[in-house]
Amino acid sequence: MILLDMQLLTLFTAGALIIIGIFAAIYIDNIIKKIIGLSFIEEGVNLFIISLGFNKGGVVPILMPGMNTNWFVTNSAYPLPQALVLTSIVIGASTFAIMLAIVMVLYKKYGSLSTREILKHKSDMGDEQ
Amino acid sequence: MNELIPLIVIIPIIAALLLNLFAGKNKIIKAIAFIVGIGMPILTLITGYGLHYFGGHQPLASSNIAGLPSYITNSTLYNLHPAITYSYTPLAKVFIFALGIVVFLSLLTYLNSENKSSGPFLFMVFMGTASVSALILSDDLFNMYVFFEIAALIQTGIIIASSAKDNYETALKYMILSSIGGPILLLGITILLAICGSVNITDISLAVSTLVQTPISRGVLLFAFSLIFFGWLYASGLPPFHVIKSSVYSKAEPYGACILQAMSLISLIAFVIVIFRIFGDFDLFKGAMILISIIAMVLGVSMAVVQTDFRRMIAYLSVGELGFVGLGFGLGGKFAITAGLFQGVNEMLVTTLLFIGLGSVVYLTNTSDTRKLGGLIGKNTMMAIMILLGGFAMAGVPPFNGFRSKLMIVEAALTSGYPELAVIIVLISIATFIVFVKSFYTIFLKPQPNDLKFVKESIPKSMIFAVAVLLIICLILGLYPGIVTNPISQCIGGLL
Repeated sequence: MILLDMQLLTLFTAGALIIIGIFAAIYIDNIIKKIIGLSFIEEGVNLFIISLGFNKGGVVPILMPGMNTNWFVTNSAYPLPQALVLTSIVIGASTFAIMLAIVMVLYKKYGSLSTREILKHKSDMGDEQ
Repeated sequence: MNELIPLIVIIPIIAALLLNLFAGKNKIIKAIAFIVGIGMPILTLITGYGLHYFGGHQPLASSNIAGLPSYITNSTLYNLHPAITYSYTPLAKVFIFALGIVVFLSLLTYLNSENKSSGPFLFMVFMGTASVSALILSDDLFNMYVFFEIAALIQTGIIIASSAKDNYETALKYMILSSIGGPILLLGITILLAICGSVNITDISLAVSTLVQTPISRGVLLFAFSLIFFGWLYASGLPPFHVIKSSVYSKAEPYGACILQAMSLISLIAFVIVIFRIFGDFDLFKGAMILISIIAMVLGVSMAVVQTDFRRMIAYLSVGELGFVGLGFGLGGKFAITAGLFQGVNEMLVTTLLFIGLGSVVYLTNTSDTRKLGGLIGKNTMMAIMILLGGFAMAGVPPFNGFRSKLMIVEAALTSGYPELAVIIVLISIATFIVFVKSFYTIFLKPQPNDLKFVKESIPKSMIFAVAVLLIICLILGLYPGIVTNPISQCIGGLL
């Protein structure tokens, strides 16, 4: 029961992370904070996937010699979500690396990380929005 | 020849790595790009149809597990088939071949018009080709998600590699949306995994047909549908993502924009087929598809009218044209879906023609602002006429391919009992025609402004060749649509 509640708690945490991340990405002015918000969304989804593989009282999904196969199939944690999350983390790391590299270029160009400041600078220069 | 299927993905990846390895060696880079560019369409033609289990084995039936260890045969473990399933069908062949043509002609234009080749740009072109080819070949939802994310990174890279103004700002905006759209798509896929226990599309389709009977499962499936549908809208650049997608196309160089639009279109096709296979029986699917398609068509054309930058104008028109593809799926049935997919092929070719053709104007004048242009018909009359004919093909003027596909969609709308949709399609086509003719007049026919300066004297022959080849293909497909519709129809028949 405690473990089941733990799974529910994880799912709620994942949901909260996603909502906070979307809020941050939309409303926060600072680009770095926006990116941190986006990473919250990503990590929320990863946490959601991980929690799906949970099996109450389960074992690590490695078939050892002498183990009863039918018992293993019933009791092992579901390994697919773990494989998916690993790939998802790698994709996320690449995405955020590129985003931060672009932010560095923009900071050199505008001298600010504020989206309002950047837009103001662009409108002062007569650029399109 | 099924063994050749993974090569469609592997060869562009190897080419991309080699281009990185030989960075700075201009001649070698050009040679590799040219050989792989011409080799890819040929490979798609010689590859046989079928399934390929990459990195694993095919699923074992209980009848052929004799000889395996008892710990496998005595349990359900033999059901597992840890492999990336690539399914090469006539439909995949049509789209990957069309992509190959677009990539080859774009590369030819790039290699001929730039003195020094950029290794990173070519790297991204080939990685992009590999990722969208894998997207349409894959029978595995998570694998599709991975290639979809790679394609998003590549698209950002192509924008950064261009010299357009504000390209970094556009790239960041695109990445931010990608970081919202991607995880939402993944969440939808995960929910399907949670209730179906698999990420294999065929397995999910079978499971959903049973699960849909239960009200709770139906609710969860609808939630998964809405998340995946949102991810699909982002991947294909349909509203509300049409503004950023159009911005992305206009910030890339013309040859880059061709590849970007081809990548978006194949992402659209690959995901819409998957959504159709899994959720095709849902009433919400039809309604959502028709609604979003109409919004895309109307917004695409109405925003194209007000553009003063012709690259943005083509970008908005191409987003509007995507609506016709979605409409085919929304109407449902073999004929309508075939019409939608045929429109997809046509749109990919015609938009490439227009991007390369009008790219010649940027090449000559270094501007795409229609207010600063005029009287260019005297510079290269043949190119101007070919661009005009390309515009006709996009608007659906006979005898070009656009006419055939739009006529098929109109027929499908009428036979499905939606005459009002047929009226909308005709009106949108007329509006597209007007938008294009207006821009053509402004760029080529109105008196040349006195302050217009030419940075180059003539258009590279490769641009003329690429536009001529695409125009001939458009004409052939307009006269003999069966070349594309027969294989597509054969595949769609199997899905229904």
